[in-house]
Amino acid sequence: MTARKPQRRNMVGQVLAQIGSCGLFLLTLLAAVPRSMRHFRETTRQLWFVGAMSLTIIMTCGLFVGMVLMLQLYHVLSIFGGTSASGMVVALAVYRELGPVVTALLFAGRAGTSITAEIGLMRATDQIDAMEMMAVDPVAYVATPRFLAGLIAMPLLCCVFCAMAVFGGHLVGVTWLGIDNGTFWSNMTAVVDVRTDIVNGVLLKSLAFGAVVSLIAVFQGFTTPPTSEGVAYATTRTVVASSIAILALDFVLTAFLM
Amino acid sequence: MTQADRSQPDDSPLVRIRGLTTVLNGKTIFDALDMDIPRGRVTAIMGPSGTGKTTLLKHITGQMRADAGEILVGGRNVAGLSRDQLYKLREGIGYLFQNSALLTDFDVFENVAFPLRQHTRLPEELIRNLVLLKLQAVGLRGAARLMPNELSGGMARRVALARAIVFDPGLILYDEPFVGLDPVALNQVLKLIRTLNQTLGITSVLVAHELEAVKQVADHVFLIANGKVVAQGSPEAIAADGSPWTRQFFGGAADGPVPFQYPAGDYAQALGFPGVTK
Amino acid sequence: MSQPRSSYAVGTGLFIVLGFAALAYLATRTSSVANVRQGDSYTIDAQFTNIGQLKERAPVKIAGVRVGQVQSITLQPGHDVADVKLSIDKNYAAIPQDSVATIFTSGLLGDQYVGIQYGSAEQTVAEGGTLARTRSTQPLEEMLGKFFGAGGVVDNVGGSYTVKARFGNVGSLSAGSPVKMAGVVIGSVQSVLADPVQLNADVVLSIDKRYNAIPDDSAAAVFTSGLIGSQYVAIQPGGSPDVLEDGDEMILTQSAMQLEDLIGKFLVSDSSGGNKSAGDGSK
Repeated sequence: MTARKPQRRNMVGQVLAQIGSCGLFLLTLLAAVPRSMRHFRETTRQLWFVGAMSLTIIMTCGLFVGMVLMLQLYHVLSIFGGTSASGMVVALAVYRELGPVVTALLFAGRAGTSITAEIGLMRATDQIDAMEMMAVDPVAYVATPRFLAGLIAMPLLCCVFCAMAVFGGHLVGVTWLGIDNGTFWSNMTAVVDVRTDIVNGVLLKSLAFGAVVSLIAVFQGFTTPPTSEGVAYATTRTVVASSIAILALDFVLTAFLM
Repeated sequence: MTQADRSQPDDSPLVRIRGLTTVLNGKTIFDALDMDIPRGRVTAIMGPSGTGKTTLLKHITGQMRADAGEILVGGRNVAGLSRDQLYKLREGIGYLFQNSALLTDFDVFENVAFPLRQHTRLPEELIRNLVLLKLQAVGLRGAARLMPNELSGGMARRVALARAIVFDPGLILYDEPFVGLDPVALNQVLKLIRTLNQTLGITSVLVAHELEAVKQVADHVFLIANGKVVAQGSPEAIAADGSPWTRQFFGGAADGPVPFQYPAGDYAQALGFPGVTK
Repeated sequence: MSQPRSSYAVGTGLFIVLGFAALAYLATRTSSVANVRQGDSYTIDAQFTNIGQLKERAPVKIAGVRVGQVQSITLQPGHDVADVKLSIDKNYAAIPQDSVATIFTSGLLGDQYVGIQYGSAEQTVAEGGTLARTRSTQPLEEMLGKFFGAGGVVDNVGGSYTVKARFGNVGSLSAGSPVKMAGVVIGSVQSVLADPVQLNADVVLSIDKRYNAIPDDSAAAVFTSGLIGSQYVAIQPGGSPDVLEDGDEMILTQSAMQLEDLIGKFLVSDSSGGNKSAGDGSK
């Protein structure tokens, strides 16, 4: 009985310690940004792997999200005779919430885990040590380029996701379900505002999420025990911690921005 | 770590360790260790597993901080160096990792070129020539475009060696260079170590277990156990040394100063025979 | 992964371009920016007693065609009218000054917009000008009420003053009935209340500020449009040098003619119930 209590305290303490060291790691990352400008080619390379290689999954999921949303909305709105507003609702829902959040979750699953695994493996095979021995700062060479790449890639991926979602909504709504094309676009353009929906929703939110996911992925990669099972746990932790952080941050940002 | 350090085969030790003490996780790794690594020679450091031989190498390169004592490399105290000074020091030290530690994203050529690209602004032509030079020295110029996962263990180690010598360092540290190699590859690595030392006068420090290999290449051997140097000398002298450590280590006894039994409680009691004392 | 470095750069560049293209598509094709064709517009004011569900950026339409949007909706402190600024495309710069701005609803339950119906004045509304004649939203109840009452009369909200008058009998006069002078509408009846003490009707008339030279000895009479049409208040000007001010009371009033009295007058030539009363000048 008495043995359990310290364990529970330990877990909360552990989580807090992790969050704290993650925050401190962010400072290390940012401090290394000027030094990582020397490795700009590495940042470009990471942008390719982290961003461009995620395009397939992002575009596919965006298309399906838009299609499903339109399908669901049509059936509900047709009860009130308000199907002409379905395009507007799809656009608003995707720009403000679904776009940034779903893109971030997919990003965490695809790019976040690959970053964590790659860095963890590099530590396990002494590559990080080798870099230190060759007088190359591993944070500036390995961590910061990946962090910056994630930061840049996320908003771009989110825009692509939203565009595909609108296209998917149009495909289902206009082509399949027969909503008038002009009504679809005119209702949408009347309500969607560039500042509150696109800049605040799509760009700002996805930037914040990109920072969080990249930070967690890089942090987990750098701090796991450099063994194969350590790496396996680290990738799981990346996804879990990223997902929780994304949704919590989403609530905070929505409260502040909307 | 300049040319001057290498060219004069003077007798002052390149690496001087005095009173090194380190405690990790409650275990005393080093206990007032003293060691002199002679310049321009091949020195081997041997000892039972877990005595911290790799940790010693990390102390020399400044990757780990000692709790007490000083380590002088080329006359400069490693612990007192700033980050940039430490990086400068490391540019003059070559380090060969046990598992080669090649960067998996780059091919062999890029791996060897990596330090050059990071620290110099040499034109591409010159980098190409330097890399091919080093690869030729280790016998792998033809493998320049292979990826690390396509190399055998011995080949990977030779590539790592080429990378380690790309700046013509004055000191090379080999961390278990013979582990897991077949006799052919082992002899190839041995040849390289000997050649580098004899032709370029590079001070070489080997951490190894294989006495036969060490006998062929080392000038001086240190035997470390329990955080101290328990024996030192030339390989022949140390093998003939009569101390219990050398007898167990080189004589092949399973039990001795390094016990066979991991410390445990009373055996009879563990089996459930109470009251039986030894 | 041993591709030459240039391919990463190209691929990454393509990715970034794609991302920005998607962003540009979102911003220009699907948001309200798409509605702004030419940026040039001018602003005019209109005041409404009730804006209903009108929102900022709601469209402004002439003959159903979008010509601009609602720029801002504010409430002037101390007044109970809404000050609405309309931003109109410069192409439609010829809106007559007496045009009527009405708040319409798209369909039955849709969003509300401002519709402008051209008047006939020669002068047009300039930048910063005001549309004086507005028609506010029609809440459902009022709509039904108006169906049975007098026709919808324009509120001259921007500039009107109120004047009281007492009648012995207002007939079917109700709030919203027009106030005419020389047959021209100059205002409307604001309220019709029965006075329990004086036992007659208190009527408050709201008159457009432009007609501020009505002599204070003018008479207010309740007339009928045509023979059996709706009733209105007609102001017959007097000759006093003083004019009616806001809050004044018109002393001379003529009550409504009842149908029965009219018929009685025809049949019997003696006055039975003709209510030509010089109403007391008391409050």
